[in-house]
Amino acid sequence: MSSPILEGRELVKSYDDGRVAALRGVDITIEAGDYVTISGPSGSGKSTLLHMLGGLDVPESGEVLFRGSILGKTVDLDTYRSCQVGFIFQAFHLLPTLRAVENVQVAMLAKNGRANHRLERATALLEEMGLKDRMKHFPNELSAGERQRVAIARALANDPAILLADEPTGNLDSVNSANIMEILRGIRETRGMTLVIVTHENEIASSAPRHIRIRDGRIEA
Amino acid sequence: MVSQLSFTGFAWKNLRRRRLRTLLTLCGITMGIGAFVALVGFSRSFEHEWLRLYQSSGTDIAVVETSFFNSSLDESLGAKIKALPEVAQVAPLIFNLMDITPDVNALVYGWPADSYEFDSLKFTSGRPFHGNQPEIVLGDMLAENMNKKPGDTVTILGETFTVTGIFHGGTALEAGAVIMPLAQMQLIASREGKVTAFHVRLLPTPAGESYDEYVKRAQKEIDALEPGVRAEAAAERAGNNQIVALAHSVAWGTSSIALLIGIVGIANTMAMSVFERTREIGILRALGWKGRHVILLILTEATGLGFAGGLLGIAVGWGALRILSIMPQTASVVSTSVSPIHLIESLLIAIGSGLVAGAYPAWRGARLSPVEALRYE
Repeated sequence: MSSPILEGRELVKSYDDGRVAALRGVDITIEAGDYVTISGPSGSGKSTLLHMLGGLDVPESGEVLFRGSILGKTVDLDTYRSCQVGFIFQAFHLLPTLRAVENVQVAMLAKNGRANHRLERATALLEEMGLKDRMKHFPNELSAGERQRVAIARALANDPAILLADEPTGNLDSVNSANIMEILRGIRETRGMTLVIVTHENEIASSAPRHIRIRDGRIEA
Repeated sequence: MVSQLSFTGFAWKNLRRRRLRTLLTLCGITMGIGAFVALVGFSRSFEHEWLRLYQSSGTDIAVVETSFFNSSLDESLGAKIKALPEVAQVAPLIFNLMDITPDVNALVYGWPADSYEFDSLKFTSGRPFHGNQPEIVLGDMLAENMNKKPGDTVTILGETFTVTGIFHGGTALEAGAVIMPLAQMQLIASREGKVTAFHVRLLPTPAGESYDEYVKRAQKEIDALEPGVRAEAAAERAGNNQIVALAHSVAWGTSSIALLIGIVGIANTMAMSVFERTREIGILRALGWKGRHVILLILTEATGLGFAGGLLGIAVGWGALRILSIMPQTASVVSTSVSPIHLIESLLIAIGSGLVAGAYPAWRGARLSPVEALRYE
């Protein structure tokens, strides 16, 4: 039997010198190709869990395993983030001094590769996101929906196995939200990626085949 | 054509985003390197001119007192040196940097009228001085700056001297110099019976012995004549004489301070830049950039500043030397010739300054936790 693509075991994390418990022994297993949403009230620990699954943060105790290997021990966190995970953030987190096409390329700069290959890939991804005419625009010249599509293209730049999205529609209107969700579901179906979305929107949370609710640092269902 | 992004292109964009700060930082390192190029270049060209001076007069050995400042030897030592079997000719001299007018200062030499060092001077007008009269000869550059010709008078330290001739100097030190009778120089400098140094021409090198061995042997014999006497090979003396040594010390000291200010400027800029870009560094780390990539990015920016400041500094330093070489106050001791090695050295120091200045901000940037950096407001 093959290992799950992601597994969290007894994950514990607190802030403010232990005064605020973010995760209180969370166990989670995600299979390759799963589409999972995680929801919960503010401060429930859902973003903290996503950060740990993505190798952005490390648990105080417990461990995260990628295909059976422990993150931070047998798998280097930087390599994991650059090769296996694509992040999408609520605030987009595009670099303001770079054009759209450069923002996508910047994700590939840390990996060896030819500059023209990086440009070709970034161009293809932005075209896929329907941004063919917006490639040379800076983030402040793009709408919120367009910025998030640039961020999705950037997340896909290194062809990751897992796409992690933290409130991807949190800064968008309903039309753009629907558009972004359609893009994310389409990516998962066409590329067979594992998709994990943290959201506080019930409609999005319930749209996934698997929905995890988290409250006070514990998984409810 | 859409934009292709390279690592250096990314660094360049980061520097361009705060143009004023980048420009001010560039000014800092430019001034530091400019000072280095000008001051160290000046002191080295000064040394080079001394060497040429010795070479053009055929001096093999300079005999001085074993002290850094104000070498002072009894004039009578000359006869003892002349008596040595290797020695062909001995020329006693005094030299000093003096104010000729409120605006012009120059190297003033005191030579005996029969000094062999006159052999290498070509008189373009007038004649050498005779005996110990209050007469002087002027280098052509100095004569032009002071608008003097044979028959004119010049007052030095309250004494009036008649210009008897103008000579063409092969080096800036000669072209901008005043030469007067040794006895007159001893008088106005209150150093009767004393000289700064003796220049020594040796007899031809004996067969079977190398020139260097021959000079060393002669040096030992001169050293043994009296305590406190040091004989130096001319090439060695060019770098060791008190004025050159002082110029070297001042040049390195001043330019080191200027460079330090430039380095602190870059370090401050890079530290501010890392502080302001905390969240962006978090984004890069979230995208899989390793700590070493962040270090490389910040060092590339800092080194770029150093490199650009180095190029500008070289231009500024060379420009400063050009100006000094035509100003009457400094023309006699400044040459515009700067060796390519000095320029390469300056550029390497500029790049090294960037690396040193960027090291701590880069290390700090690399240590940022991705998730904390992303939360940073």
